[in-house]
Amino acid sequence: MAQVAHVEEWLDDCATIAEIEAALVDLRYRHSEGGGPDLRTSVLTHLAWVPPEWQEAAADTLAGLGARHPSRTLLLFPQADGEDALSARVHLEFYELPGVEGHRCSEVVELRLGGARADAPASIAAPLLLPDLPVFLRWRGRPDFGSPVFGQLVDMVDRLVVDSAEWPDVPSAYAELVEQFDRVAVSDIAWRRTLPWRRALAGAWPELPDRLTGPPAETSLVAGWLESRAGVRVELERADTLPIGGDPKPSDLLSDELDVFVRDSVYEAATAAASSG
Amino acid sequence: MVTQSSATEPRTDENPLAEGLELRRRPEPCVLTIFGASGDLTRRKIFPALYALAYRKLLPEQFAVLGVARTEMPSEEFVAAMEEAVREFGRDEFTAEAWEALAGRTRYIASEFADEEGQDRVIRCLNDLDQEFGTRGNRVYYLAVPPVAMSKLVEEIGERRTTEGWTRLIVEKPFGHDLESARELNQLVSRAFTEDEIFRIDHYLGKDTVQNLLALRFANGIFEPVWNRQFIDHVQITVAESMGIENRAAFYDQAGAIRDVFQNHLLQLVALTGMEPPIDFTAEAVRNEKLKVLKALATPAPNEVVRGQYGPGFIEGQPVPGYREEPGVASESQTETFVAARLEIENWRWADTPFYVRIGKRLPRRETTIAVEFKRVPHPLFEDASELRPNILIVHIQPNEGVSLAIGAKVPGEGMRVRTVHMDFLYGGAFRTGLPEAYERLILDAMLGDATLFTRADEIEEQWALVDAIVAAWRRDTPAFPNYPAGTWGPQAAQELVEWHR
Repeated sequence: MAQVAHVEEWLDDCATIAEIEAALVDLRYRHSEGGGPDLRTSVLTHLAWVPPEWQEAAADTLAGLGARHPSRTLLLFPQADGEDALSARVHLEFYELPGVEGHRCSEVVELRLGGARADAPASIAAPLLLPDLPVFLRWRGRPDFGSPVFGQLVDMVDRLVVDSAEWPDVPSAYAELVEQFDRVAVSDIAWRRTLPWRRALAGAWPELPDRLTGPPAETSLVAGWLESRAGVRVELERADTLPIGGDPKPSDLLSDELDVFVRDSVYEAATAAASSG
Repeated sequence: MVTQSSATEPRTDENPLAEGLELRRRPEPCVLTIFGASGDLTRRKIFPALYALAYRKLLPEQFAVLGVARTEMPSEEFVAAMEEAVREFGRDEFTAEAWEALAGRTRYIASEFADEEGQDRVIRCLNDLDQEFGTRGNRVYYLAVPPVAMSKLVEEIGERRTTEGWTRLIVEKPFGHDLESARELNQLVSRAFTEDEIFRIDHYLGKDTVQNLLALRFANGIFEPVWNRQFIDHVQITVAESMGIENRAAFYDQAGAIRDVFQNHLLQLVALTGMEPPIDFTAEAVRNEKLKVLKALATPAPNEVVRGQYGPGFIEGQPVPGYREEPGVASESQTETFVAARLEIENWRWADTPFYVRIGKRLPRRETTIAVEFKRVPHPLFEDASELRPNILIVHIQPNEGVSLAIGAKVPGEGMRVRTVHMDFLYGGAFRTGLPEAYERLILDAMLGDATLFTRADEIEEQWALVDAIVAAWRRDTPAFPNYPAGTWGPQAAQELVEWHR
């Protein structure tokens, strides 16, 4: 894992998009003066919608992500009851590259959308997206799939990343998620978490269990997978932990999802089956 | 336990749960037999690669390794030596779990390669491993042996192969030492093995950055339209090493740079740079296109080839001896440690577009690059264009793997001065996973039966035909060696090859 060599930061409680863009350029240029060139080899824009109750968890997930995905991350913190203003914190993380002079740089822009700004996040995020690169939207918590905010953000991204383990109402909520599949490619971190479990089950084929024990989201998805792939229906039993797969870091799970660029038909079929289960 | 229900029609011909789980890239059960197991290649490359595969759980569940070499030692000693090698040369952290998965399945037999009784013991051991690990008679033989041992060993293995399971042969370079010997070896091998069972290693083809050359050319719409004589002025390919011959005097003094690197790595880079788009990314399609380039290579005239041998000099500030002072090298050796050439690919795409190539030892730094220099703009529009170089696309194979493009950009301020700047793409900067070692990819591909990144018999023969023609011309004179000091970019005449062009 690359080490953070340096962080540059810029703050403004009442920012404009032009000022944020200027800060991104200035911070990078400031650090490169007198040293080797700093590389911004971007591969994607990572957009995150983070309601207040998810701010701490989002910070944990973000830690270490920049080292693996040289990207621009836009963190959108809606504060509908706050003052009508755009508050910005721009920070550039410079990572060491083994054997190479200079650093690799990842850009993080934290945007607090106060008052009415929280209702129009797309108009703030759109000018800050890296042109012609994929845009991933990580939606923390349970999305209100019918809300205008969800609609405007989803319509500007290539992939929606959720973690249905954060939702209180699975498996019934999957029915609403399934409706999004033709609108945007979807990744579910809960599904990614079950990968070692699914590999073990696939390795045991044609023998399969008649009962799955684990957290509700993950067991529902694995049960949906068995039903959609193999025509097998199994019983579910609730437990706090997965039987296989341990407790991977949130940033690792999100990082894996940011490598996926196409629709996952196996996942979609599993979710559809889970929604009717 | 349940097996199936009636909710959906189950598929019985394959595992329906496998889709999307990346289970398909795992090879079938097999035993990997390494001949030459006590050698440097096994220690530095093969076992660290096997460990990396075990670490990533890419080896089959039913798998075993059998090391065979002349050195007498029990299996335990061999396993201990390989553990030390993995700790020293492996790219991953050493974990007991990954190592035990490999070490517990590794055996060793001491035997002369040409010894019939020894070969019988190898076969008996392989049969035992089949019983113990369920490897089903599937065999991968890795011949990491000196060229003199190759023919006899291939014969012995061929005579003992059975119809049970499949058999694949991985052959290390050099494959022959000239066209005639390569043909003989190809004929010998083909008596017992079909072409799709033979995997001739050129480890350069296993490097991700070499494969990225194909991605760069054929996955990007902007390069292929200008990848021809109309837009490209010339191509320069450099395979430079700063190290000397590192205890390889016995081999190197016989082979020289032209057989060690030019015949294989260098000509493969030329072929990949010059080839037409294959119809798909299958072994036959890719190798067919590479072969066409090798066939179209004209024999360079004697004055289009420069050979050199390093004398004493300095590398990174340290004094180093000349080639003739290296241990094991004759004091009057006429072996070349440097070759530069102007090559022409005689076809529609490349006519009159030279490929300048150079390879050598004890050059200032380790560097493998392909530099594609585009033609200059037809008319100098801006003031003081002397600082402006032509556009150059450089593919960095190693180190600092990546791609850079030199473009002209306006100097800020008044006037219209244009200077050359570089746009860089660095592999390490864009992708979070480390680049795999070439041997990891190649061993795995051989176990999977995928020969795309291996050299076919007819490619090898074309490569040797060109080398033989160059070497034949060399026999007519005696070069004044040494003719470049260690730590420099070779003889002056090599630089002049490109200067004449400009």
